[in-house]
Amino acid sequence: MGKVESKHPDPDIPKIIAAWWKTIEKKPQRPTLIIPNVHFTFPTLWGSRGDSPPTPDYSPTVFSTLWRTHETPNNFVPHFSDSVGRAAARTQEYLLFVDPEGKFKPSPAALGEVFLMTYVSRSSHLHMTDSFNCTAMTKQQRVLLGADWVWAVLERPTKNPCIQIAVQILHLSENDRGLAEEHPEVCAESMEMAKMESANRNKAERMVDFCASVGRDCYALFLLFGRKGDPGNIYGVLSNNFSAATGRTKINRALIENFFKGSRYLHTPAGMLQAIITKRPGDPLTLLIKFT
Amino acid sequence: MDLYGKMAATQGTIQGKEGGDQNFDYMFKLLIIGNSSVGKTSFLFRYADDAFTSAFVSTVGIDFKVKTVYKNDKRIKLQIWDTAGQERYRTITTAYYRGAMGFILMYDITNEESFHCVQDWSTQIKTYSWDNAQVVLAGNKCDMEEERVVAADSGRQLAEQLGFEFFETSAKDNINVKQTFECLVDIICDRMSESLDTDPAVTTATPSTKLTDSAPPLQQPACNC
Repeated sequence: MGKVESKHPDPDIPKIIAAWWKTIEKKPQRPTLIIPNVHFTFPTLWGSRGDSPPTPDYSPTVFSTLWRTHETPNNFVPHFSDSVGRAAARTQEYLLFVDPEGKFKPSPAALGEVFLMTYVSRSSHLHMTDSFNCTAMTKQQRVLLGADWVWAVLERPTKNPCIQIAVQILHLSENDRGLAEEHPEVCAESMEMAKMESANRNKAERMVDFCASVGRDCYALFLLFGRKGDPGNIYGVLSNNFSAATGRTKINRALIENFFKGSRYLHTPAGMLQAIITKRPGDPLTLLIKFT
Repeated sequence: MDLYGKMAATQGTIQGKEGGDQNFDYMFKLLIIGNSSVGKTSFLFRYADDAFTSAFVSTVGIDFKVKTVYKNDKRIKLQIWDTAGQERYRTITTAYYRGAMGFILMYDITNEESFHCVQDWSTQIKTYSWDNAQVVLAGNKCDMEEERVVAADSGRQLAEQLGFEFFETSAKDNINVKQTFECLVDIICDRMSESLDTDPAVTTATPSTKLTDSAPPLQQPACNC
């Protein structure tokens, strides 16, 4: 039998591969999964694509891009829940820390900073700060306004706050003086001036007064890092109506703890924010929240 | 005149826990007011800390910084209040107008609305402050010439009409920041000295000392640009 001659010439493999690469290069780039700061080397049929590590890419991950494309007015609620959940869990680790020798204990200020840093870090990663932001108070503001930080729902496009939550941490180990007043390093001259401006009121009352001066869309949230009988969990009491108690009784830790006596329902952080957003303007609202 | 008597009462010592830098001859309470995002906080940061950041963080309620200046061998402690410009904080910010001796009323030369609101802010000063409070009008962000919508002359005319001193300023490029504060301090000192001339009994401390006597002004003798 003679050699069967093909009617077609032998394919030029290198040419076909080159053409194939060209078509790939011409195609528009599709979204790809990019994990910042993580350098994977995938084995391929052609072996390693070079020895140098890829350049770190700090662009948003495909997940955060997906979240943003499905943006709705209140889509910050799950992001808030996520961020606050992480912050509470991280803080709880330190809250539960017991030094075997009983000498070392994280300070209330350190615990507050751990919470806030974890929250800010996560919320920034989730790109939620355009619709819901967090402003840490200066040490003067902590004395004047009583708040450690303020969360705000921002209206668009002005980015002005339309709902605010002023937060004050209450530590199990401290008395009514509050965080800023406990530490000698913040008792500088300006602190003395700030205290002169806000004499006769404790830190809790100052925050309640501040919220009342803004209006019913400014809530006071007392964040309890541990409660009597439950030192390892984080709870909160939120209200836009604490000012109703002003003048009748002293607003302090004892009063805040009292809210939990006989309480039936504890909200999640997401539930808290949802309740605030869906509430009718001007209505009073008081909630108990469990953060851990 | 009475308020300068009250001002004299702020002479003395703040009993702080830290030693040093607690004494002063006079303490002036100053406020920076104006629409949101005109640059009030940046202006104060530039003056007090010589720092600037372009990131915008809206001020919550009220804040303050302290800076000491010297005039004719007198230590003048400036308690400078930075107010939030947003309407929702108006109750808390106006509460701090009481007892203020000077105001820096700020607008943004790239934002016409902030300029139109100057008259309203001026009315707020008259309503919530005392009659003799001194005011300097500041047209901030003068480094952004390409985006200017308020002419310098318009600012100057309005200042004349309202009886205020006037500067165009830039916290970013550090233009006229120090001069604005020094001008305000100068006018307050002038008024205080006039008050002492007419009624020396208003103060018990060093009544013979005039802050405007002999020594040259802090920096620039004239206020206007």
